[in-house]
Amino acid sequence: MTTIERVKPQTEIAVAIVDTDVHPMPVSADVLKSYAPAEWVDKIWPTGNAVSPVPYFYDTPDSYKTMSLRVDATPPGGGFAGTDPDYAAKQLLVDSGVGIATLEPMCDAQLPQAEHVLKSTYNDWLADVWLDKNNAHGRWRGSISVSAQVPELAAREIQRWAGHPYMAQVLMTPQTRGIPFGNPHFDPLYEAASANGFPVATHLMGQTPFELIPVYPVGNPAHWHDFFASWPLLYVSHLMSLVFDGAFDRHPDLRVVFVEGGFTWAMPVMWRMDRIWEARRADLPHVRRRPSEYVREHVRFTTQPLEDADVRQFREYLEMMDLGDNLMFSTDYPHWSYDAPAYAINRFPAAHRERIMRGNATALYGLPATVKALPGEQPAGAVSFD
Amino acid sequence: MLQRRFVCTLDELPPGAMKLVDVGKFGVGVYNVRGSLHAIVNYCSHEGAPLCLGYVGGTNEADPDAPDGLRRTRDGQIVRCPWHNWEFDVTTGCNVADPQRRIRTYQVDVSDGEVYVTA
Amino acid sequence: MIVDTNVQPHFRSNAEIRDYLPQAHRLRAIPDVEQQWYQAPGGDYRRDLYGEHYPGSDPETVARHLFDDLRVQYAILNPLARGNIADYLLNSRICAAVNDWLLDRWLEPDNTGRFRGTIRVNPEDPRGAVAEIERLAGHPKLVQVGVPMQSREPYGKPVFEPIWEAAAAHGLPVAVHINGGNGVDYAPTFAGHAHTYPGYAAFMPLNYFVHLATLIVEGVFGRHPGLKFVFADGGYDILTPLMWRLDTFWLSMRDQTPWVDRYPSEYLPAHVRFCSSAFDGPTDAGQTQRWMEFSGKADLLMYGSSYPHWSTSTPDVAASGLDAEQRDKVLWHNASELYGLAAKGLAEKETAS
Repeated sequence: MTTIERVKPQTEIAVAIVDTDVHPMPVSADVLKSYAPAEWVDKIWPTGNAVSPVPYFYDTPDSYKTMSLRVDATPPGGGFAGTDPDYAAKQLLVDSGVGIATLEPMCDAQLPQAEHVLKSTYNDWLADVWLDKNNAHGRWRGSISVSAQVPELAAREIQRWAGHPYMAQVLMTPQTRGIPFGNPHFDPLYEAASANGFPVATHLMGQTPFELIPVYPVGNPAHWHDFFASWPLLYVSHLMSLVFDGAFDRHPDLRVVFVEGGFTWAMPVMWRMDRIWEARRADLPHVRRRPSEYVREHVRFTTQPLEDADVRQFREYLEMMDLGDNLMFSTDYPHWSYDAPAYAINRFPAAHRERIMRGNATALYGLPATVKALPGEQPAGAVSFD
Repeated sequence: MLQRRFVCTLDELPPGAMKLVDVGKFGVGVYNVRGSLHAIVNYCSHEGAPLCLGYVGGTNEADPDAPDGLRRTRDGQIVRCPWHNWEFDVTTGCNVADPQRRIRTYQVDVSDGEVYVTA
Repeated sequence: MIVDTNVQPHFRSNAEIRDYLPQAHRLRAIPDVEQQWYQAPGGDYRRDLYGEHYPGSDPETVARHLFDDLRVQYAILNPLARGNIADYLLNSRICAAVNDWLLDRWLEPDNTGRFRGTIRVNPEDPRGAVAEIERLAGHPKLVQVGVPMQSREPYGKPVFEPIWEAAAAHGLPVAVHINGGNGVDYAPTFAGHAHTYPGYAAFMPLNYFVHLATLIVEGVFGRHPGLKFVFADGGYDILTPLMWRLDTFWLSMRDQTPWVDRYPSEYLPAHVRFCSSAFDGPTDAGQTQRWMEFSGKADLLMYGSSYPHWSTSTPDVAASGLDAEQRDKVLWHNASELYGLAAKGLAEKETAS
């Protein structure tokens, strides 16, 4: 075993890596329900049901045995991966060099009011368990989950958390039942987010019991493999709508984060939007700037899952794309498709690494440059960007 | 530096079992595959996951005559990476999909009912 | 030499198609042309082509524009069928009427020998589609089968396989082209309807990737080594990032679909081609040559004007920024190989592939 210098607790260390996609889960349904209004408990989690249904419209690798979680992320004290803040801290913060991580719980409900209450419940649980009781080190950040179905209520929920020291962003589903992100339907939500300095992040809310997998224009694939390769076209659709429907013109302070949907598609999409905008300016009087400029100013992408293409080609592609200011490293801990920081760093052009691993997220979320070290943690210098 | 190391007694490693040996940076997993012994590094060549924590079983191959187009094969010798589910054949160290992707394998021998790995 | 792989010939009038319908269907209502949800404001076609004839409806005019003005050697005609029709059997008769009209009006009278055509079929009626391919595949001037982009199911699904099998058996590529002629026209983006024409036009061609991914993962390309698909609306820049995803996660998913026995991108050279479009390519011309090497696109792309569409692009624009070898491939060589087109009047050494 190699000797690694360990810092003493209570030391401040420099943040080297910000992880912009970590998934916490309540340790039990009962714990989550304890945060819900009493009159809603039976509506959202009906006691008349025999089971809590687990959906599997598509079968990810090994989902039957592992529930799509890393086998080695199961807490030693029991429970599912991602339910124990201390074990997550050990695996991410102590062992993997992550300085600060953004937490993104996954949840949704079919009926709008119920979804609003469910998301609020998650916010109360997250704020209590992860951002307060288990955040003495101050290294967890949270997401304000809101329902895309009821933007007015979402705006109120955002307002409720304004000023919270550890809530870093708003989180909504991209599975918006046929309403693209640029639609004025979302304006109250965007206004509240922008006014309070919260970026709006979006993340596929998994496979739901009521199947909100996007309905593809030409029909859906039968296997997870081809579904997985093509579903980022949902993000492409939303991005094109944000630009062409003028959302960024209506909301100049809005920042949107596309989480876990890849990012290499952004380059061809910027080209296409720019070309069509040039050819059809008259159709878009409300779009004042070149589309790719909106992307550079308003949009961020998290990096997981990274494609395992030839590393030199991949780095060359990223240099061509020139979105070194728009990418933010993420692991997707504790899911099976986790990207390890050491693997990821090597994939990026050297000149982009610091920004992708730390700088862009720090700027977007207003994060500190140093944090309290945890017992047994390596100093930040152990993580090399060269 | 390669060293012949004691793993366990053969009784402690029946067919289907795996013993993790603390050697090197990541460890080595010694497998009993239907009576023959094999060892692989506990490190996936993709992103460095602890490979030997993965499920060991068989895999599927194409069978055009079957109604679902596939059949089970290579039972007991395929380990699935606990992260991205890459399949590696422990008897060869080769990735099932792309055999050019490999993980390191080690010699295992049995002497007087004792299992040794050279790692 | 220049081959234009994407030209849409049009009827002179709505009624013209009725001359080609069988008696049994003479009293049926046929949708008019220009039946699509997202028409371009100001018209779908080039403004200068609205005149004496409906745009793209006069063979002499089209021949003059392509063969004389742009020095195109061959033009592949891929007509639109009539949009959104529920009766799949009638839809197949409409496709057959379009095919007979194409032969009668464009291909048979063509003394230049420069027009080639497409056998339009209706994938919602697989039996009818196979029968139509069998009926017309022998005609020397029909060089491909044509289906719409729009579909209820992606083209890798088993219901369609007999159609692709028939096409491949006759050595005919299958061209996929946006056309609401398939009885269905779902919302064009993954997030619903577009509220602007550019929002529609920017996204719609990208739907080809779902067809492509399913043709690979369902094993259709694996089972039909001679099958080729042409995605005629462009959108090939996004091929690289999405194929990288398909390749990377093949290693994770192979055991669910083990008939996929190679990296998905390895199917591209033998099975996939694209027509160029005005909306594709780097906006920085300096990146164009290098960009063509990603995913081997230099061997996959074929110049297509989209004449008489408002976005009609000329060969020079399509080849802009390419090096000499890439230019040759895109402007004629790839198409010449795919469609078996010999150079007319050129010395033998110039046509060696």
